[in-house]
Amino acid sequence: MSQEEDFVLLESSDGYTFVVSRKVAEASGTLKSMLDEEANFEEAKNKTCRIQQRGVILLKVIEYLAYKVQYAEFNAEDIKEDFSDRIDPYIALELLTAADFLEA
Amino acid sequence: MAMSMGAARRGKPKIRPPKRPTSETPIKDTWTKLANAIREIQNHNASSLSYEEHYRYGYNMVLHKHGDQLYNGVKALIVEYLDKLAEEKIIPTFPRSGGTRGAGKLGGGAEAIERALEGDRFLKAIKSAWEDHTGSMRKIRDILKYMDKGYSLANGLPLIYDVGLTLFLAHIIRSSKYPIHTHLISTLLSQVQLERDGETITRSTVRECTDILLRLNVPEREGGKTVYVMDFEPEFLKRSAEFYGLEAVDELEKGDAAQYLRRVERRLAEEADRTVHYLSTTTQPALQELLVANLLTPHLQTILDMPGSGLVVMVDSDRIADLRRLYTLFLKVPKDAGKTSLRAALRLDIEERGKNVNEGSSIEAGPSTIDQDDDQAEGTGKGKGKEKERERPKTTPANNALSSALKWVQDVLDLKDKFDTILDSAFMGDKQVQVSINEAFQSFINANPRAPEYLSLFIDENLKKGTKARSDTEIETALEKTIVLFRFLSDKDKFERYYKNHLARRLLYARSASDDSEKQMVTKLKMEMGFQFTQKLEGMFTDMRLSNESANTFRNYLNRHGAIPIDLNVNVLTASYWPQPIVATNTCTFPAALQPAMETFQRYYDSRHSGRRLTWQGNLGTADVKVRFKARSHDLNLSTHALVVLLLFENVKSGENLSYPDIKASTDLPDSDLVRTLQSLACAKFRVLTKIPKGRDVNPSDRFEFNENFTSPMARIKIMQVASKVENTKEREETQEMVDEERKHQIEACIVRIMKDRKTMSHNDLISEVAHQLSSRFSPSMSLIKKRIEGLIDREYLERTDDMGSYRYLA
Repeated sequence: MSQEEDFVLLESSDGYTFVVSRKVAEASGTLKSMLDEEANFEEAKNKTCRIQQRGVILLKVIEYLAYKVQYAEFNAEDIKEDFSDRIDPYIALELLTAADFLEA
Repeated sequence: MAMSMGAARRGKPKIRPPKRPTSETPIKDTWTKLANAIREIQNHNASSLSYEEHYRYGYNMVLHKHGDQLYNGVKALIVEYLDKLAEEKIIPTFPRSGGTRGAGKLGGGAEAIERALEGDRFLKAIKSAWEDHTGSMRKIRDILKYMDKGYSLANGLPLIYDVGLTLFLAHIIRSSKYPIHTHLISTLLSQVQLERDGETITRSTVRECTDILLRLNVPEREGGKTVYVMDFEPEFLKRSAEFYGLEAVDELEKGDAAQYLRRVERRLAEEADRTVHYLSTTTQPALQELLVANLLTPHLQTILDMPGSGLVVMVDSDRIADLRRLYTLFLKVPKDAGKTSLRAALRLDIEERGKNVNEGSSIEAGPSTIDQDDDQAEGTGKGKGKEKERERPKTTPANNALSSALKWVQDVLDLKDKFDTILDSAFMGDKQVQVSINEAFQSFINANPRAPEYLSLFIDENLKKGTKARSDTEIETALEKTIVLFRFLSDKDKFERYYKNHLARRLLYARSASDDSEKQMVTKLKMEMGFQFTQKLEGMFTDMRLSNESANTFRNYLNRHGAIPIDLNVNVLTASYWPQPIVATNTCTFPAALQPAMETFQRYYDSRHSGRRLTWQGNLGTADVKVRFKARSHDLNLSTHALVVLLLFENVKSGENLSYPDIKASTDLPDSDLVRTLQSLACAKFRVLTKIPKGRDVNPSDRFEFNENFTSPMARIKIMQVASKVENTKEREETQEMVDEERKHQIEACIVRIMKDRKTMSHNDLISEVAHQLSSRFSPSMSLIKKRIEGLIDREYLERTDDMGSYRYLA
């Protein structure tokens, strides 16, 4: 089964769940370790990760991860779209903490 | 997420602060939970743990500045775990015997198998401990990822996974509590040893353990190399050296060099295979070096000299494969020592063989004083093919001498062929080896003082017509080979002398098989030695050609000026081209019967060439004469000298005889020629004269009588002047004298040439320059050159300068 067809479930602290392609999820170092099938932690077994973040933050994180995957193989100068434009300043700091935690 | 920084800067007062990562639980509890989780991981229960939860614990601890507590706590947990692993898993599998026995055989059969199994079990335990540990370390690393990022790196501490490896080294491999280290190294060594002794071991287990050693690095203060390099390799190499040192001695005692070399080759391959399969390829160079150092380097000479199987025998029986193995293995010996000793041994061997060849030929040559007894067997003119074959079996000593000369050359050629083959197929045409082979050939060929003569005889034999039915290509290859031998000769001037002699005979007796081959040979010599060397040889050919042409014009001359009583064919030779003995002025009184013809030719010649002096040489001519005996008449073909002698008897009445002094007085022939001529007439196969008393040798007191009763079934009989093919001792001395004389001149000419150019020169420089310039023709001795210098000083070509030891040229 190829990675694209493999999906995992990400769950926010306030109960939102997101079905995310494994490839996108694993763009985060923390999530990658979490879902490592060899180490086989509880999350990997259940393919479900509970993230201690609000849904709105987690959504933005997933959005960024997708963006990161999309442009993974591009040269920096070829990327026209600036992700910072998509960030609502009001959540910026919280997002920053989440990013640090998730190794995004 | 670097871009979010920009967003932050644009921030407005309403920005919601990030949630304080407050820890709901106290640090102590966090740590307890985390420690339990780590233990669970180490017990393979990771699947019951939430990664997120424990990652967050680590995250919190680091954020709340408890990184050091976390870091050290984890370390302690790992140590605890490793000690447990050692006790539970490794200790029980320690091999009974401890495996610390020295190198050498470990006993065979059941015990060996037992040991192999025990070792394997122990190594498997180590391996499984390693796998458990690294497995859990990987998970611990993942869980504590945030600690590595936020604490270890920031404080310059090793990452937790590396800590795990270091701890594994300290508490398992080099454990101070348990003798794991000793057991591990010795078990590895004994596994290798068991395999060397021919037992089967599980290579994969050994491979995995050496891999562990390769993965682990010793602490920085010990050099930071891998444990394999630090702890295992030196011991391994030491053991291997001991083992192979002993094995070399054991195997050599068996006394079969070829087998030994095969074993060495196999060992080298085995060890190479071993390093690839379950040691480290980094060990290979050192190990191979060690093998060579133990199996080959100290035993080179022993292997080469091994009686019954060493180099000599390999060469004897052309064991190319063995020789090739020997060569390739010897090449591995450092500093070219292998090749050097191979070259030395080859030299010795070839020289020994050469000595045998030399001795073989000199024994068969026999006492050369009776060489003279040769004659018609060789000397027959045309149509001699069959006759000759018939006479072959009757081996006269001269024939013997000739055949031994030919045999010598043939033997040398065979030897050369043999070594050429060996060089090409076994020694890969190695240039240095070739040099040694050539040197050896040179040395033994020149050790035979008759080499130049023999070589020339061999060529003579090949170029003479009617010898053997040979095709042009055969002759061509034979000549090609002789040129190779010719290169080895140091006395090339001597060869030239003999070659000239033999060529002269071939030309004058019209015995050359083919002009083309003759010219080819001369061309070859020219290519080797340059124009000067063959100038005279070519002159001889020219003389022959001109003489043939002049024979026609002489016939025309006779038509115009009236015929002469006999058929005369004259070869006019330029004195300086031909060998001295042939053109040396031989006194000979030609009988009256021949005089008119000679005078006519003289007149004819003078009419065509003015200012040239003709000297009549009877020693190389032939004559056809009809002689009436009692029974019948025979056509005799004999040498001019023999004719001169025979004609004396024309007027001697039947029953009367002539004494030796009588004959000498009438013919004026020198003793040596006369004796030979009389021998050929009275003592050889066809005795047209009777000697009184009978006997083989001619003495001045003998008397001779015409043999009226001579009978022979053949109408045509050839009686040739005794012209021994191989020189007898006296002749050889003469040749040597002449060669020496000529050398004197050449040395002097050379000295003068050099001095004329340099004006002044030191003694040593001069000698070496002379030796160098003449080396292509012969190798002059120091004393000879010195004498010539003295001679030149006496004749005031040179003078000594004030500072003794150098000379000045006096123009």
